[in-house]
Formats: sequence, structure tokens, C-alpha cells
Amino acid sequence: MDVTPPKRSRPRIDRFAVFWASPSLVWQVAFFVAPLVVLVWMTFWRVKNFKLEQDFIPDNWIRIFSSGFFYDAFLYTFWMALVAAVLITLIAFPAAYALAFIASPRTRTLAIVALITPFFTSYLVRIYSWQIILAEKGIINGVLGLAGISPVNIIGTSTATMVGYVTLALPLVLLIQLFSLSMVDKRLVEAAYNLGCGPLKTVFKVVVPSARVGLVIGGTFAFLFAFGDYVSPLFLGGSKPPTLSILITDQVKSGNNWPRAAVVAVVMVITLMATLTVMSAVAYRRRGGAR
Amino acid sequence: MNAATVRWILMGYVLLVFLFILAPILTLVAFSFNVDRFPALPWGGFSLAWYEAVFADETVSTGFRNTMIVAVTTAVVATFIGFATAYVDYRYQFTGKRAYLALASLPPTVPVVILGIANLSFMAAIGLSGTLTAVILGHVVIAAPYAMALIRIRLADLDPAIEPAAWNLGATPWATMGQVIVPFCKPAILSSLAITAAVSFDEFMIAWFVSGIHETLPVRILAMLQGQVSPRINAVGSLVFLVTVALVVVAQIAVFSWRRKRPLAGGGDG
Amino acid sequence: MTDKIDMFAFLSRGIGRRQFLQGAGALGVAAATGLQSERAYAQEKTLNLLSWPGHADPAVVKPFEDKYGVKVVAKEYVGGENMLALVNQSPPGTYDVVLSDAEYVVMLRDGGFIEEMNPADYALDTFFPEFQKFPGHWLDDKLYSLIIRFGYLGIAYRTDALTAEDVASYKILWDEKIKGGVGFFDWYLPSMGCLSCYNGNKSPFDIDAAAFEKLKETVFSLKPQTSAFYSMADTFASLTNGSAKAIPGVGDWITLLLAKDGVPVDATVPAEGGIQWTESMSIMAASEKKDLAKAFIQYMTSAEGQMASALMPAYNASIPSKAGWEKLNADAPAEAKRLRMTFTERNVMDEYKDGKIHIRKTPVQQDIDTWNEVWTEFKSL
Repeated sequence: MDVTPPKRSRPRIDRFAVFWASPSLVWQVAFFVAPLVVLVWMTFWRVKNFKLEQDFIPDNWIRIFSSGFFYDAFLYTFWMALVAAVLITLIAFPAAYALAFIASPRTRTLAIVALITPFFTSYLVRIYSWQIILAEKGIINGVLGLAGISPVNIIGTSTATMVGYVTLALPLVLLIQLFSLSMVDKRLVEAAYNLGCGPLKTVFKVVVPSARVGLVIGGTFAFLFAFGDYVSPLFLGGSKPPTLSILITDQVKSGNNWPRAAVVAVVMVITLMATLTVMSAVAYRRRGGAR
Repeated sequence: MNAATVRWILMGYVLLVFLFILAPILTLVAFSFNVDRFPALPWGGFSLAWYEAVFADETVSTGFRNTMIVAVTTAVVATFIGFATAYVDYRYQFTGKRAYLALASLPPTVPVVILGIANLSFMAAIGLSGTLTAVILGHVVIAAPYAMALIRIRLADLDPAIEPAAWNLGATPWATMGQVIVPFCKPAILSSLAITAAVSFDEFMIAWFVSGIHETLPVRILAMLQGQVSPRINAVGSLVFLVTVALVVVAQIAVFSWRRKRPLAGGGDG
Repeated sequence: MTDKIDMFAFLSRGIGRRQFLQGAGALGVAAATGLQSERAYAQEKTLNLLSWPGHADPAVVKPFEDKYGVKVVAKEYVGGENMLALVNQSPPGTYDVVLSDAEYVVMLRDGGFIEEMNPADYALDTFFPEFQKFPGHWLDDKLYSLIIRFGYLGIAYRTDALTAEDVASYKILWDEKIKGGVGFFDWYLPSMGCLSCYNGNKSPFDIDAAAFEKLKETVFSLKPQTSAFYSMADTFASLTNGSAKAIPGVGDWITLLLAKDGVPVDATVPAEGGIQWTESMSIMAASEKKDLAKAFIQYMTSAEGQMASALMPAYNASIPSKAGWEKLNADAPAEAKRLRMTFTERNVMDEYKDGKIHIRKTPVQQDIDTWNEVWTEFKSL
């Protein structure tokens, strides 16, 4: 925290200001920062016969960083989250564009309600539903079967995991994009048309740059969600291979090994913070000379 | 390809995207009425048996009660914190404000699985592991930023000069808060109560790590998902869906009523 | 305007610091208090059970609940290590009864988590002789746990993909026709145990370094065949929806129920041998309701409780009580036949006597950790 010495005092306002400023500070320090600090501290503890003992040993870090499966899981998780970010951004954009520039206000309102609803519907149950849809004897293969196409097995593949990630993040990304596209000046778009730009050229020269912040934020959220998700890689991907989240829960379940799980968690937090920093730099970078 | 064709293609695409988003929800509702225990095609027949099983299952009703306790408490506390933070951002400039706001809005960016394991050890250290209190403490952390965002957006419509004008006329900050700020924010406060309740209602990872034997409903669903195949999951899911949709609808109604009462925004002179 | 203030002034000035802390503390306390009464209530009328999924199903525990006017509340786990983790991380007194796999009883005893039991309290003489003095439950000639149910692990398979001859040997797992269709129950112990049988180890869990290295190779060589790693429910789902054609390390506990529902599946113990799983109940040492806990185990080992346990809706099993068998054959002969627990036909006790079945143990010459890590590595390949 950035604590600076006092410069001025305004007693009348202070107590009032402190009353409103402190809840968030106190709560987030006590129940957000403190647990994360304990998490870091715990990476140096030891586990003996399923019991946690306070200690200060580097063994957990060494153990995790010398296991091949950790690097595999890290690379796989990062890669999947990256693909999810790009894919979801690409899937969402045409839809957000259509809703922002083509759809009637009524359709748009309806769409927003439809987008908010699943965001708050049990994600667990939605993933379970995807199992029913994607399984070898599931709905999709049932339909394919009617068309005489032999069944494809999707459950237990990275594709299925990706379907889960899209389910998780698409509504939010679409909302963010829609929000940022509605900020784009429509006259600018029309002007581009009138100046003889083709539709595609207009989109890439005018719309995308104007909505850049929203696109980047949306993609970043997709990345965050996918990077930390536990449910899709487990129930759709069949833990094949395990992601970092699965590694965390496996360590906890299979030997009460919180310290090693904590190492994985700390690495994840660092990765995410680095990603956030880079992405916010990309999003808010001053536009260079040309545009 | 003319503009109209492009429009139709794009709108068709939108329909497809929404089909994808809604497909799992439709499937879950449909299969909650399927008589077969192990869901697969072909369709086995219509049955209400799984709803009966859910209503008879005390772990589900206990879980539901726990979830309600957690969600309501979380909503109240998180909305208060969110309101306070939004107000501070709206009213004051101070050194370290960026860091203050970053701390207030960061929690949703940390995966819940990490918050779960962090809370597990932390709550054990302060003797709260295995309690609903621990779940609430964690849920407020992730829900408060949503409340803050919603209320901050609303405050953006209130002329910052109103409050100081009232102070100059002799009103105390507390009175201005009670008579101007809070009434103006009421719709946002209501929608924030609904949204934070919904966030808590669906959260299962923190709850799974710290709730111990006091399982919330989503934790129960996770246990069912891992433990035994049963269309009860679909039935529970459909019911949960109903509850969360109700919460979201309440939030929406609040938002729309605020839109209609817009005249206050940007208005006059205290 | 008074927009610019310094938030942290109060810290150095000391003014209002106490109020500030009090206010913040009050918030947290307010959230905490309402819950205490609820906890107290929950403790009065319940028996807290730590178990595999499904053991507190009304179909099993309702008669006990009615008789004693209590609720049986279960915290469910999957896998023995998960159980030990939960026992270790919960405050003492959280659970009254633990249903553990037999091989973990000794660890529970060593950790001081469970109590010695009095054999005279339970109807042990109604059990088959093989199960009256079950090895892992008697330590230093003291009883710590009572066997409730058991079953055999080999291969579960879809009968529309494989025949009974196919699965006479674990070799089928490497067969081209089920490439990408070999599922795994995501728990190292039974899965690696069955493959250890395939490697010809006489005692599949007591193997030296060389045999362990070979087991590792055997396990890893199955990777191209693998469909996925399943939690408990997924094991049922994947056989039903066809994602998995065969799953080693599981058995009747999966297929009995599925077959009853008309899914084309069966389970077998291949020629190389299989593993026996055993679930047993113990009384937690820190329980405040030991009499109730004892009564519950008495019920679960009675003929009535045994029959209910055999037919448990989450997964069926064989039961060790002869009295339970008799009741099952009298009250539900069709179910007795389905579960191969009749006295007239070849039954599960005969299979036990064949000597193909090894009792599941935790690794003897290596750490649990070492086996677990091989499993994690296998999943990541």
C-alpha cells in the first residue's frame, strides 16, 4: 500500500471520510491480502503424515519446480487461456458489432438480458449439461447419427475444455464489447462509408481501433477466467492433461499438501498480475502518430 | 453481396451465438424431466421424479438454507462496502487513491480456486475453518467490487457540485449523505444487492474449500457432480436457475426504474 | 472545494483510530454472530458422517434416523487420501463416524483420530468367518473398525464394444479397437493396483524398486489409449455415454447399477487377478456423540442395515454379514441374484476363495507420495 505522510488536516471532513474509506480497505486487507500473504508464507511449510507443520523450508518450491508435470501444466494452461482469449474475442466481435450497429434497441435490450442471465446461472450445472450434449451417445452425435455421420468423441479433449471456457467467458466478453462499441461514434462509421471505405475496411480502420480498450479488456477477462477455471478442464477435458487449477486441488486432496498447492497458486497469481499489467498497458497505450 | 445480405448473415450469426449460450440451460431444463437416471439419448420418457427426489433430499434443502444465509449476508455487507468505496472514489482525491481503488477492485481477477486455498489456511489459522462465516468473509471479498462498479456508474450521473453546495448551506456531511446521496443511489443499491447475492449464490470454489460440513448448495452440486450420477443435478440446476433469474430480474427492474427517474441526474443546485 | 484530502492522516494523528478499528471490527462481528446459534442447533440433532458419496442416502439410513430421531449428515470424499486430508483439516469433533477404506484405518489409528471398539458391541458372529477378524481392522489385537461392505476391482467394460473373452486379460487395454476409449478412475491406488496385477506381482502393492519402475512403464504405455480421468460420477457417465469402452481399476460397484438401468456394461476380474476394496466404519475419538455413533455402526452391521447398504442407490456392493445375505435372499431374491449373493449359485464368496483377489493396501515399499506422483505424471503426459 501506498502510505504517505499527512499534508493537511481537515478534522470536520476527516472522520466522515475515514468512515466511508475504511470498510473496503479494512475488509480487503483482512480477508483478501492477509489470506494471500498466508498463502505465500505457507509455501515454506512442511506436511508430515497429512499434518501441516510451520517451518521455513524451500522444499516445496524445489519439488514443484523440478517436476516435469508442473511445466507441462503451466504451458498447457497458459496456452489454452491464450487461445480462449483470442477465440472468444473473435466469436464475440461480429455478434457485438451486429447488436451495436444493426439490431433495433429492443433486440439489443433483450440480448443484454439474455447475456446477463447465464452469467449468473450455475456454471457447474451448465458444464454438466455440456457433457450430455457432447458425449458420444449425446445430443450432437444423435443429430449427426441421423445424418449418417459416425459419432465423434469430444469429451476428454481440449476441444471440450474450450467449449467450457467459451461458455464461461463469452457472455461477459460480449457485454464488454457491446458496451465499448456503443461508445463508438456512429457518425465516424458513416463518414468512413461515405468516403468510400468498404464495410470490412471500415470495421478494421474505424471500429476496431475505437473499441480497442473494450476488446482488450474483454480478451483479458477471457484469459483470466480460462486460466483459473477448474470445472471445464475437469468435467469436460477429463483432466487430460491437468491444468494448474486441477494440480492445486489434486495436491490438496491427495495428501493434504497445501504448501505445494500454495506454490502453484502463487505462480498463478504472479502470472496473472503480469498479464494484467501487460494488457492494461496495451489497452491504455497512447495512440501513436498515425491514428 | 449487398448490405441487406450482410445484415441477415450477421443477425443469423447473433442467433447462433445465443443458441450456444442458451444450449446448456435448455438441455438442463429438458433433461431434468427425463425419466432415465443416466442421461443419454434416446429420450427415456417424462417424469417429475427428480424434482420429488430433490424436494425430499434434506442435503439439498439444508444446502439451500446455507446458501441463502450466505447470499443475503454477503449482499448486505458487500453492497455497503461497495457503496462506501464508490462514494470515496466519487467524492475525494487523495494520495494513493489509485492503489486504494486497485485493492478494492482486484479480487475478481484472482481465480477462486486460489482464493479458496488461501482462505482454507487463513480461516484455519483464525479458527473459522468449516463455518459459514468463513464462506461469507470470502464471498464479500469477491462481491464488493461488483457493488462498487454498479454504484459508481450511478454516481457518475450526480453533479459533484450538489454536495458541497448543501454543505455550504449548513447541512452536515451525514445529512447530505442521508438526504441526497443514498436516495439518488437507491436503484443502484437495489440492483447491487441482487447482483452480489447472485454472485455469492453461484460461488462454489471458496465455499468448497472452507465450508467444511456446512455445505452450500453449489458445493452440494459439485459433490453430486463428482459423487453420483443423478438427474437430480438437472432438477437442482433448473431450480437454481429460477432463483438466480429472479434475482437478476429484480436487478433489471431496479435499473430500469432508475433510468426512468433520470431527471435528478446532472441537475440543479441543492 | 474540499476534494483533496489525505486518507491516512488519521494514522499518524491518532485521532479516531480506535473508533475506526471498532467500526470495522463490528462489521465483521456482525456477520459472524448470526451463525453461532445455527451451528449449535446443527450439532444437537445430527450424526456427522465422513464417507464416500451416497452413504447417508435415506434409503440406507432412514430406519436409523427414525428410531433415534436424528439426521445423518454426510461430508463426502473421493479417495482415501482425500479422506485423510479432510480428517486432518477439520476441527476435532467435526465428525462422529468415519467410513474409510480398510487400508487407511491404520493411518487413522496412528493419527489418534479413531477409538478402540468393543467387539462384543457388534454382531460380528453373524459375519462370514473370513471377515470376522479382518486384518487391517485389528491392530495389536484391538478392534478399530468394522467392515461394512466390499467389492472386487478388475475391468468394467461396455459389452457392445468388448466381449467376455476380450477382457479375460488386462492385455485388452492396449488393443487397437479401444484406442482412446480406456478411461481411468482418477485415483492412483486401484488403477495402479490392477496394472500391478497385470505385471504379475504376487502382492500388487508390496513391490520392490525394479517392479515399481516396470509398473510405471506399464502405466505410462497406456497413455495413447486413454479417454480421460474420471471422478466418481463421471465413471458412471462415461460408460453410459460411451466415452469410455473399458475402465481398469473399477468393478461391480459401477456396472451393477448401470446394467440394472439397461446400459450394456459388465465387470470382470481378469486372469491376472483383481483387487478387493473394503469400506469400514470407525468411531471418531473426538466425537461428542459416541453412543449415537456406536448405535449407528450397530445398525449398519445389522441384517437390516447390511441389506440396505448392499442396495445403496449410489453404488451397490457385497456385504460381509451372513445374516444380511439371508435377509436379502428372503426379502429381495432378485436383487440377491443380481448381486451374486445367493447361497445356491456361484457367489461372491466363491470368487473370494478362488485366490485371484488381492486385498487393497497402501503402497508398502514406497511412499503414497511416490505412487501419487507417478499418477500425476501419467495424467500430464
